Amino acid sequence: MTIAIEAGPAGPQMPGTQPDRRDRRGSWIPNGRMIAAKILELRKRRGLMIALVAVDIGLPTLFLAVRLISHAVDPKSYGPAGGYDIFTPLVSNLMYVFGFIVAATLGCTAGCSDLSDGVFRHLVVTGRSRLALYLARIPAGTAIFAPLVAVGFAIVCVVCVYAAPTTLNYQGVNVPAGLSVSGFEAWSEAHYSEVICDFPYQGNLANFTCGPNGLIPPSGAAAGGVTTTPTAEYKAAAVKIARFNYNSYKNTFLSPPVSLMVESGLWVELEAFVGFMIGLGLGSLIGQRTVSVILMIVLELVVTPIVARVAIPHAVNLQRAVVGLSTAHLEPKALVPIFGNGGGPGAISHSVPVTTKEAVFVVVCWLVAWTVIGARRMVKRDA
Amino acid sequence: MTATETEWAVETHALTKRFGPNVAVNDVELRVPRGCAFGYLGPNGAGKTTLIRLLLGLTEVDSGTMSLLGYEVPKHRDIALARVGAIVDEPRFHSHLTGRQNLEILSASREPESRPRIAPALERVGLSQRADDRVAEYSMGMRQRLGVAACLLGDPQLLMLDEPMNGLDPAGMQDMREMIKSLVEEGRTVVLSSHLLDEVQRTCDAVAIVDKGRVIRQGSISELLAGSSLVVEIECSDSERARSLVAQRRTATEVTSGPEGIRVILPSGTGRDVIAGLVRELADGGIAIYRVQPMQTSLESWFLEVTSRFGESS
Repeated sequence: MTIAIEAGPAGPQMPGTQPDRRDRRGSWIPNGRMIAAKILELRKRRGLMIALVAVDIGLPTLFLAVRLISHAVDPKSYGPAGGYDIFTPLVSNLMYVFGFIVAATLGCTAGCSDLSDGVFRHLVVTGRSRLALYLARIPAGTAIFAPLVAVGFAIVCVVCVYAAPTTLNYQGVNVPAGLSVSGFEAWSEAHYSEVICDFPYQGNLANFTCGPNGLIPPSGAAAGGVTTTPTAEYKAAAVKIARFNYNSYKNTFLSPPVSLMVESGLWVELEAFVGFMIGLGLGSLIGQRTVSVILMIVLELVVTPIVARVAIPHAVNLQRAVVGLSTAHLEPKALVPIFGNGGGPGAISHSVPVTTKEAVFVVVCWLVAWTVIGARRMVKRDA
Repeated sequence: MTATETEWAVETHALTKRFGPNVAVNDVELRVPRGCAFGYLGPNGAGKTTLIRLLLGLTEVDSGTMSLLGYEVPKHRDIALARVGAIVDEPRFHSHLTGRQNLEILSASREPESRPRIAPALERVGLSQRADDRVAEYSMGMRQRLGVAACLLGDPQLLMLDEPMNGLDPAGMQDMREMIKSLVEEGRTVVLSSHLLDEVQRTCDAVAIVDKGRVIRQGSISELLAGSSLVVEIECSDSERARSLVAQRRTATEVTSGPEGIRVILPSGTGRDVIAGLVRELADGGIAIYRVQPMQTSLESWFLEVTSRFGESS
């Protein structure tokens, strides 16, 4: 049975009864206020922010601080804190991985925090497009992790530049920095003993003998008390070796050059952005931060290194689809190769060779795919 | 676009939602008049919250049509919800943020004019003093009030409150009741889902009773109760003999006896002369009558009556 209800009079006209034309809340484009609100929500997570700062800024700072203090206290035992030789492994092995983990953790949090805190339904009830709610998280999260990664990287750069060694150490030999080809050859002629004994060379040379103190002259050289050291032969060999080593020498620096720092910074930020976007999509898909973060760490620290080092027969193309291999391929050439698979084309033998085009394609596919997955889940999910 | 001129704040037609084999909302026809407090009542699992979730676009509908404030949803969901405020289930917020910051986050998804409404909304729900405390430190009642403040950000014409009395102490319930009345006096429509029938009776002008996903009654409370049974309590000297005499008369639906007298349930529409006849018959039978008390059927007893009757017939 239904008893008819007499309809009440329409309520008094209240302000804003008609929709405001400026209020485009059905649009999928997030506005600045939504982005600012999401930044507020994320940056106020004290525990998360402390952890992110500790990992991405604290650990490199601590590492460099220990080196600075050690060098200051006992410079003979401990080398300079900075320099090119410190910069490259620090960026490849520390900033790259930490940047990814920091951004992925933030992405996972951004992807599921509204849902797990029960705020998602409040947001949906505002009538705002769910897609806009999802997309607002991208600039908001980027505004947090990008400066974090940049600050950590900047600290590494500053220390590596200002605490760099004063002499260039190439293959264990102190060499003047920044020599031209002819300059390097001239220096090699003058220091043929170190060059012949310490510099690598692949080619045919006369058989020279090196001892703990350098080149040992041939036994028949000293005749009648007169030294007949074949200096011209040594110098010619040293020049040959110098030519062979020049490219390698050219890429050895006292401190990281500006161009390398810029390239490396962009590369680390790219890796962090990839981590954030995948984390965001995964967090939105799963709806749980802990599980998402664990999966991201497994991807970065377990799956990618294994896939990079072991070529699985008949599954090489599948291996190429792992995003970590692609971002590693995009690593600046002058850095220490990551996963044994980076450093650009030809830098190291690749277990799974990836071309630059393939690498860019794979990275773009991962970014697009996880954005679609995360956004679709958010749009379709029961709030 | 403009809304169609309609006097209904909420209107549904053949609305259905299934979860696997279970029908949570079954062919619901609901019309909520504008400018009133409307109670949506039903036992646990009856589908009350699911219906609210459907109306708000929190979950997808399987079939049927619905409109809010004259706007068809989900087609014009964004426009309709711009003037709707809602609490669904328990109000939850980012616990690491303050009450004010939570409202700022929600305001960011609404129109720019909603931001200046934050302070008045907090004032109205009595949370101004605690607005800058973290929500983690709030009691359940304070969260409920923060939920209401969140509803007010959009200057809503329609508020949908799902169990708003949950977790409130008697004073908080009184405050909530008065707030709902004041909202209605301002011309807003309040849809109140609650299992506290007494609260609904005190607060609402009209109700819909829902059971097993289906709306089985809807109307104004006075009209609905007018169609319910009449209960008469008679305090007398010999309750067993009185029960027997009344039962022989066959006018009563049910007669029960107690140590102090009998309780007679009469069909709806029973006139006062029937009660007088009952008393006369008992007196003629030599039973001393000490007190006769016709009882107004409460919404609660009526609710139990109709929901159980529905359960038997289905």
